[in-house]
Amino acid sequence: MDGRVTSIACLLLFLASAGSAQIGSDNHTVTVRVAQITTLQLNVGSVSMSITGVGLQAGQDTMTAMNQSTMMLWGTNLNNVKTTVSTNLASPRFTLKARAVNNTAGTAAVERVLSTTPGDFLLNIGRSQGTSTIQYTGVARAQQGTGVDNHVITFTVQSQ
Amino acid sequence: MNLNRKLSLAALAIGLLAVAGEVAFGQLLVHVQGPAPNLTIFSGTPTGGPNPVVNSNSRLRYKKWLTPTKITVSTNCPGQSFNLKVVATGVTVGLAAPEVSLVSGTPGIDFITGIPAGFLGQADATLKYTATATYQQGNSIDFGNDIHVVTYTLVAQ
Repeated sequence: MDGRVTSIACLLLFLASAGSAQIGSDNHTVTVRVAQITTLQLNVGSVSMSITGVGLQAGQDTMTAMNQSTMMLWGTNLNNVKTTVSTNLASPRFTLKARAVNNTAGTAAVERVLSTTPGDFLLNIGRSQGTSTIQYTGVARAQQGTGVDNHVITFTVQSQ
Repeated sequence: MNLNRKLSLAALAIGLLAVAGEVAFGQLLVHVQGPAPNLTIFSGTPTGGPNPVVNSNSRLRYKKWLTPTKITVSTNCPGQSFNLKVVATGVTVGLAAPEVSLVSGTPGIDFITGIPAGFLGQADATLKYTATATYQQGNSIDFGNDIHVVTYTLVAQ
């Protein structure tokens, strides 16, 4: 008789547990880590500009050509960074300038003459992704004659 | 030992398990197996953002119960910075819910539904975690890692 009572009591407990909303649970730890990531791409591999002097008027010395065919794309999860621009050509015959235009994020630096020393191109791009059109301007004076400058231009993301 | 005595002892054992079910019995019914998932996002593209990372190295083992049940999932991750999703794949009993976004502090969300009644029938599923982030969310050097305690709960459906 005692056994029957015990059985019934335990089964009631068992069924009560079965009837509760939460029947069982378990957990584990999942860790998510995000490394420092910065990526930068140019959509065009090469740019060619010709300063032809077309439209040049008599007495005018400075000839220019402009190109906006290249777009810079970037993404970074670092805070407080900027992009700089430089060229590998230490002594160019002509002047080449660059400026960021139509930027989806960041602040364009002033137009700068390219040199081997990296100079500011686009500021305040921390923790963002976006695009920027690169506006190149080639400048030649009459006394510089004719010739070709081949630049390898490098854009770099670095701390601001 | 007579039959009554044996039944009593069996019932007592089951009853004790039921009473202690908060922990031990609960884990008997739902149990997470495998190494603790560790997901590291380490690369990205300018247009696509940081590349998602997937981990499917852990499994969930669960049992049928006396009534139809389902499994819900929730997480506790104070100061969560990044995104974590989970979906059940290879579900042997029940139906996998669509991928769930795990947000700290939100109530349990359906994970596996339609588990039919039975008695302790074994079932399992693979836990497929996907970690994502945006550039705007920063990185772990600045904000620390997200450490989730992810809980799977078997509840009556």
